[in-house]
Amino acid sequence: MRTLDLLRLIFGNLNRRKARVALTAIGVVIGTAAVVILVSLAIGLQRNANEQLYGIGDLRQIQVYPTFGGEGMPMPGPVQGGKPLETKLLTLQALEEIRAIPGVAKIIPRDYMMANLLLRYKQFDGYSNIIAVDVNDLAELGLQAKQGETQLQRGTVVIGPMVANSFYNPRLRPGQEPPPPPELYGQTIQFIFIKWDKDGKEIRKMAMFKVVGVLKETRGESDWSMYMRLEEAKTYNEWAMGRRINYNKDGFGQVIVVVEDVEQAIEVSKQITDLGFQAYTPQSYLQGINNFYLILQVIFGGVGAIALLVAAIGIANTMTMAILERTREIGLMKAIGATNRDVLAIFLGEAAGIGFVGGLGGVLIGWLAGQGINVVAIIYLANQTAQQGGVPPSVAVYTPLWLPLFALGFSTFIGLISGLYPALRAATMIPVLALKYE
Amino acid sequence: MGKTLVRALDGVDLEIPEKSFTVVMGPSGSGKSTLLYLLGGLDRPSAGQIEINGARLDQMDENQLAHFRRKTVGFIFQSFNLIQSMTAHENVGFPMQFAGISSPERDRRALQLLARVGLEERSRHKPNELSGGQQQRVAIARALVNNPALILADEPTGNLDTSSGNSIMHLLAELHQQGRTVLVVTHDPRMTRFATHKIFLLDGKVVTEQAYQQAVLE
Repeated sequence: MRTLDLLRLIFGNLNRRKARVALTAIGVVIGTAAVVILVSLAIGLQRNANEQLYGIGDLRQIQVYPTFGGEGMPMPGPVQGGKPLETKLLTLQALEEIRAIPGVAKIIPRDYMMANLLLRYKQFDGYSNIIAVDVNDLAELGLQAKQGETQLQRGTVVIGPMVANSFYNPRLRPGQEPPPPPELYGQTIQFIFIKWDKDGKEIRKMAMFKVVGVLKETRGESDWSMYMRLEEAKTYNEWAMGRRINYNKDGFGQVIVVVEDVEQAIEVSKQITDLGFQAYTPQSYLQGINNFYLILQVIFGGVGAIALLVAAIGIANTMTMAILERTREIGLMKAIGATNRDVLAIFLGEAAGIGFVGGLGGVLIGWLAGQGINVVAIIYLANQTAQQGGVPPSVAVYTPLWLPLFALGFSTFIGLISGLYPALRAATMIPVLALKYE
Repeated sequence: MGKTLVRALDGVDLEIPEKSFTVVMGPSGSGKSTLLYLLGGLDRPSAGQIEINGARLDQMDENQLAHFRRKTVGFIFQSFNLIQSMTAHENVGFPMQFAGISSPERDRRALQLLARVGLEERSRHKPNELSGGQQQRVAIARALVNNPALILADEPTGNLDTSSGNSIMHLLAELHQQGRTVLVVTHDPRMTRFATHKIFLLDGKVVTEQAYQQAVLE
């Protein structure tokens, strides 16, 4: 039998019993629509979460920290398998070990400010997180300037866009309107480093730094930080500690490892951990989140699939009834030369056809419902974020192209499976008995 | 079917000559329809042999039997067995779909055969818009589409009035004259006037005409 003839016959037969086919297909419509809406919702949630997370930083970067451990330490470090970890500092030699790992593109040492710090600009006092990095240009860390430049020189700092917000006027009287945050770009800020001697006497050291750049917002650590050169911070740290710092012995506070490709981040991070350091990559965090949403998609899809399963029973029932009613027709088809395979193909095709028609309706309804939810949800969420701050979602329910195609294929497949038993019964009927059936 | 074996035909040994018009006579339950279905490959014998044109039907599998029915046999039934949702034209063309014949060729042949049975004007009509005689003519046209050598008719006049019955009988006689082997199962004695061969069945056994007449009279 030719394929086109077979298809024409199948849809002709379905067309013959429109009402029954429609009633059976409604189950498939509901099931398929449920699969499309729920999976679209899970995908939409995932996209939203990823959009909100864009501030977690450059995915090529791995944050590496030293491991402090060992027995007899006042604060025991992380424990693996019940055994205390060995202390592993980020010394220059350790950096070479890390550099040897395949896929590592760059290693950028970083440190903290150990002295207490007060910032002063005109009548304002302020505080900020200081990040000392061993780079000439912050662009190497994936940071971009909103104003000025990202180049770091001696006596200059580049600040995050929120730093100015931490400046306040200490002489403000209660009830007085606070002034707007100062414009710091291009200005010189006074840094007051503070430490205490053995007797608890406060010792201060002053320095002036010029703000040569303001960074673009990243929604991460950089927004509230000031960047300065590592060797400059080292000078003040040595003053604060009262001794020289030897990176070969003391190690760095933190190292940023940049990998060549995002895909390598997790593997490199694992190897760094194997060397005994603490390594964190946003990529592994993101992967965990994505895994969660994948599971959510499967669960949501499964709920829809249960509705499809119920519809499958409906198809099987309809086909079984159809075969009983058309027993003589089956006998006739065999008498005029239809093979068992022809009969099987016709009835399997009809069952799959019900699945396909229902699937088509379900995909259409599911997609339209998704668009409807999107319109309502985006308006609602945009209002919410406008009140509370944050990034408004661009999409609530997202239907990728593969989903309707998959749903249509799946519903057709469900129809096919449901028709298997009735169609096999039809195909294996003894022609003479089928012809005599009353 | 079932657990009890019913001998519909018992010890039947006969030969039907090629290009003959054979009439099988017998009362209800004599096994005449069973004989027809066995010859048409719609049923299988529980024992014995059936040979048609050198091919052993009792040794064929389902697929081979389907091909045999498609190529060699044309069936005509008492209740016509037309598909109600299809037009006369579509009913006639239906067997050719299983033979993989193209749509234009099917249309051409179906119209030609409908013209031959005098129904070209009714080709777009559905079975319920046709009389019993016309429906049987459509069924005869359908039986001829694959140009079979053997026509098997099961009580072809059973559901028809006398005049329609006569006309169908003449049509079958015409097919015989064109060189086909025609086998008609009936209990209508009028059919015997066209017969070149007669077979009489009583309780699943072949009997002589005399024995048959006697049994009918009794």
